[in-house]
This record gives sequence, C-alpha cells and structure tokens, in this order.
Amino acid sequence: MSLARFIPRTSALSRFTVSRTAPTLQRRWVPRAMYSAGGGLTRESITSRILETLKGYEKIDPAKLTQEASFTKDLGLDSLDAVEVVMAVEEEFSIEIPDAEADEIQTVAQAIDYIAKTPEAH
Amino acid sequence: MTTIPSRLATLSRTSVSAAESRKRVIKLYRDWYRSAPEICALFALNYSPGYVRYAIRQKFEANRHVTNQKAIDVLILKGRQEYQETLNGWKMMDQVTGILLDTKALERPNKTFLQKFYEGRDGDGVIPAASGIL
Repeated sequence: MSLARFIPRTSALSRFTVSRTAPTLQRRWVPRAMYSAGGGLTRESITSRILETLKGYEKIDPAKLTQEASFTKDLGLDSLDAVEVVMAVEEEFSIEIPDAEADEIQTVAQAIDYIAKTPEAH
Repeated sequence: MTTIPSRLATLSRTSVSAAESRKRVIKLYRDWYRSAPEICALFALNYSPGYVRYAIRQKFEANRHVTNQKAIDVLILKGRQEYQETLNGWKMMDQVTGILLDTKALERPNKTFLQKFYEGRDGDGVIPAASGIL
C-alpha cells in the first residue's frame, strides 16, 4: 500500500474536477509509519536507553553511572554481574550478542558502540 | 516429548589455565541466564524468569570460593550436565522446584548442635532433598 496506488486515480479524476478530488485524497491518505524505511537508532537514543537500563539494575549506583564507566572498575560489578548487565542490554534492544563479543563489552561506551554498529538492534 | 540425547551434551575436559576456566564459567552462566524464560515455559513454573535467574545465581555464588583448578572443572561439567538435563526436559517438577530453584538450602544458617537440638531436630538430614516446596 503506497502512495503510488492513488496516483492514477487522482489523475483520472483531475480531468473532471480538481477541486473535488483534493479533499477526498486528503481524507483517504492517512500518514503512518513506513516500516520498510531504514530508520536506525540515533546515538542519543541508544545512549539514553542504555543508561536507563543500567539505572534499573539494582547493583549499579546511578550516581556513578557515566558513559565512560567501566562495569568492573567504576561501577564495582563482578564478572557475573557484568554478564547480567550485558544481557539486560540485549533484552532492551531485542538482539542476541554472541559470547565472544559479549565478553569484550566491559564499559558502558563499548555497549553503546556495539548497539550502534548492530543493524538488528531496535 | 522426544529429545535428541546429544543435544547440549559437552565433553568433560580440563582447562589449561585459570583464565580459560573463568571464561567457561561465564559462558555457562550466560547460557543459564539466557535460558531462564525457556525453563519457566518448559516446566510451566509458577516462578518468574527473574526468580529462576536469582536461584541460579545463588548456585554459582555458593561455589565462588573454589580455587582448585580440578574442582572447578568438575563443577563446570556438573553445571553443564544440569543444564542439559533441565533444558531437555529430563527433570521432574520436584527436581526443578526442590533442587534447582531451592535457594533456602543455601541461605540456611549454620546452627550449632544445641540450637538444632532445642528446635527439635538434630540435623538438616531430616529435610528430604526433593520434596518440592519446602
């Protein structure tokens, strides 16, 4: 269903009355999200969503949470907590990060970078 | 329900270094953590995936102090076996709720003989291993 469908109809009607077709077209054409369009996430939205997710994790002190913070050094998480945090980010963006890459995510900035370069994330 | 017996089966092997066994433990934990919703659905549990994750975390925490390389390898293998048996649906309800998801057994405080005696029981042995909900 695209706008192209309406084009022959409007052109056919415009032969008779232009003034009558304009409101009909307006009534029928409902603007809606085009899911086929490749939108992608902006870096700001990724950052804010990741920070929101991490704030919800009870072992993280929101005051210490910055974009540059390391999970283990700055936020004081152990390795199992880091696994949980990365998994929470996975769930937020409904993706599955492979183990090798999940091991490498040690800071908040790395998580943001990974999501930014993953096209499946939404 | 048919299952492929070799699904999720792993070989028992020894880790070369502490770093490798650490990696294997983290991988095991990640697999457990990821499968929590599946476990809830498979056994139609009355628990949330969050609780399942908490219970599994307790099992890992219980062995946090282990430093012996061979002991860690055995624990990893046992964890893998548990994982395979759970996700293949080879467990019964009581084995899941009573053993796998039992967090009370780990939280139970160490009491002296007399404290237990005054309560009317001499040891924890009276509590059956798999009695469902304790």
